[in-house]
Amino acid sequence: MTDERRINIVLAGQGNCGKSAVFNFFTGLRQHIGNWAGKTIEKREGTLYYKGYTIDVLDLPGIYSLTTYSEEEVIAREYIIHHQPDYVINVIDSSNLERNLIFTLQLLELECPVILAMNMMDLSKKKGMIIDCEKLQRLLNTPVIPTVASHGSGLTGIIDKVIGLQGVNKAPRKMKYGKEIENCVKQLSPGLDNNGFPYPARWMALKLIEKDNDITRLVNETYPEIIEKAGVLTESLEGIHGHDSSIVIADERSHLASQIAREIIKITPGKKISLNDRLDTLTVHKFSGYIVMIAILGGMFFTVFSFGNWLSGWFETIFKEWHILWLNNIGSSLLAALGWSAIESVLALVQIALPYILPFYILLYTLEDWGYISRISFLMDNLMHKMGIHGKGCISFIIGLGCNVPGCLSCRIMETRRERFITAILVTLVPCSAVSVIVFGLVGKYIGLLWALGLYLFAMVLIFTAGRISSRFLVGEPVELIMQMPDYKTPQLKTIIYQTWDALKEFIYIAAPIVIISGVFIQAINLAGWMPAISSFLSPVTVTWLGLPAITGILLIFGVLRKELILVMLAAYLGTANFADVLNAQQMITLAVVSMFYIPCVATISVLWKDYGWKKALTICIIEILFAILLAGIVKRFLDIVF
Amino acid sequence: MNTELNRISLMKLADGQKGVIITIIGGRSASKRLADLGLTPGTEISVIGRALFSGPVRVEASGSRLVLGRGLASKIIVELK
Repeated sequence: MTDERRINIVLAGQGNCGKSAVFNFFTGLRQHIGNWAGKTIEKREGTLYYKGYTIDVLDLPGIYSLTTYSEEEVIAREYIIHHQPDYVINVIDSSNLERNLIFTLQLLELECPVILAMNMMDLSKKKGMIIDCEKLQRLLNTPVIPTVASHGSGLTGIIDKVIGLQGVNKAPRKMKYGKEIENCVKQLSPGLDNNGFPYPARWMALKLIEKDNDITRLVNETYPEIIEKAGVLTESLEGIHGHDSSIVIADERSHLASQIAREIIKITPGKKISLNDRLDTLTVHKFSGYIVMIAILGGMFFTVFSFGNWLSGWFETIFKEWHILWLNNIGSSLLAALGWSAIESVLALVQIALPYILPFYILLYTLEDWGYISRISFLMDNLMHKMGIHGKGCISFIIGLGCNVPGCLSCRIMETRRERFITAILVTLVPCSAVSVIVFGLVGKYIGLLWALGLYLFAMVLIFTAGRISSRFLVGEPVELIMQMPDYKTPQLKTIIYQTWDALKEFIYIAAPIVIISGVFIQAINLAGWMPAISSFLSPVTVTWLGLPAITGILLIFGVLRKELILVMLAAYLGTANFADVLNAQQMITLAVVSMFYIPCVATISVLWKDYGWKKALTICIIEILFAILLAGIVKRFLDIVF
Repeated sequence: MNTELNRISLMKLADGQKGVIITIIGGRSASKRLADLGLTPGTEISVIGRALFSGPVRVEASGSRLVLGRGLASKIIVELK
């Protein structure tokens, strides 16, 4: 295969433009999700084989602009400049055309070959917008292809275009801004042209006028006189307009985008109130919005738990038979016991975690694809601000209810490191499905559902308090919420399945190896006969302070691997799942409280370690261990009075 | 009429009321970020809803809708239309 048969394209666009749907359509399951070097930002790559071509597709982070506001934006623009992809596919939400065009103009400034995917054409049509793609194509001198990515329509047209335009001069038109700015550019760009910079001269000139830190520093190293000249020009520009020069340029783009939008959009008037607006009056209303939210989330958890219980029970009966088969055929020698504990760990993952995580993700992504999740961010923003983060953090909390691992990973949607870290700390306190197994399987089953729900309420209050405290300690300017609330749309099964699969894959890759290794390790300790020594070592805490049976010391060690193991191992130790035989009501609640907060599980710790360094990960663990022991002891003493 | 009197913070705008952005008080990064979304001085903007306890506001400007945090919205000064 020659190189000409290989093409690389990148997808770029603002948030909520349907970029993920395009990416999933192109790459299917041939995706690789990793991190950008040295960054905690997700890098999604994939390959498409089409008409004898191998097309590498890279999904750039969803961003609002190409300035250096956030890490994502820097990554996006540096990638486009340095890797020179054959094509940048700019995915555009046509129902928010004007704002999306501002981004397109920034992309065109980079002078890279661009194809516009005019996406969500069904939605804009519903809004009464008729968009003249051909006219836009002429205006920008670059291909514009109407698409509905969620249905896959128009997408092969993009690839056909990419292939068809191989070897053709494909530079889009350089869009001109106002006279004053063009004058500045004209004075600055000759000095920047062919001087060994990797960036286009015109783009650099614009960045210098915008006072972009990175570019100013770069030019200043070799041509301080250009910076001086830019300073003079910028000052006079600011004098004329009365705004910061970066706002002047943003204003030019915004103005041009609005001018283009006016030329290519025809609005058909007399549209009746859309379904979306009617839904929104209900779902983001200042009163009914909260009622709907509680109903939706409550319904979601009820579904997850009833489905999870059913599937988990089904797996249990099957795996029991497998163990008997193993014992009969392999035996119970030392090696066989270690071998089984490796298998058992994986089975425990399948039996206890998967039945809850699977329906949880399906429902979560259904809500997301429908467009509801951002409504929650909107409704909860105020409360989240009291914890030093903004409304989007709520999304991580909700994901954390399924599993803390993707919950922590999703903190990447927060804009600054400080907010990412605060959100991650709080996510580790969110009761994940494994903890829920304990809360419902122990407290809910033996004491009453109200007590179980009470524990959830308790967790919420605790998270809120922890948020207030950590935002005090981690100083920094809180970032304000700026978010697009996408219109509601019919959830697409294919998108939901892809996203669920992605989440499960990540969960399995992270959790499975840890669970296997630790399961074998603990079994080895057990076989060596060290367990009694460990439980008596921990008994001052478990027995004296918490009033729990000595065996719980070992269980809590197991629990670091996966929290539901606390319950699983207790059942194994008892030889029955009737916990009322060994634990009274106070002990059940105390054990549940310890399990909820005492430490993030190993998989979560490893994510914290990877994203925030071992020092921070260790600090979180130590604080949470001490705190949970203290808290549970107080709870126990309180319960002694109640019961 | 004194135009100064017609200048209020976006937060003070009643639901459905329209205003034109005059200026954005505060840091360069906030105004830059808003500008990249098309919220520049001169843009017509209206509030279409808000969350409980003076939370964020939903606004509509240049044909698209956005959610803005309360702190940010109160820094946007608009002139009543």
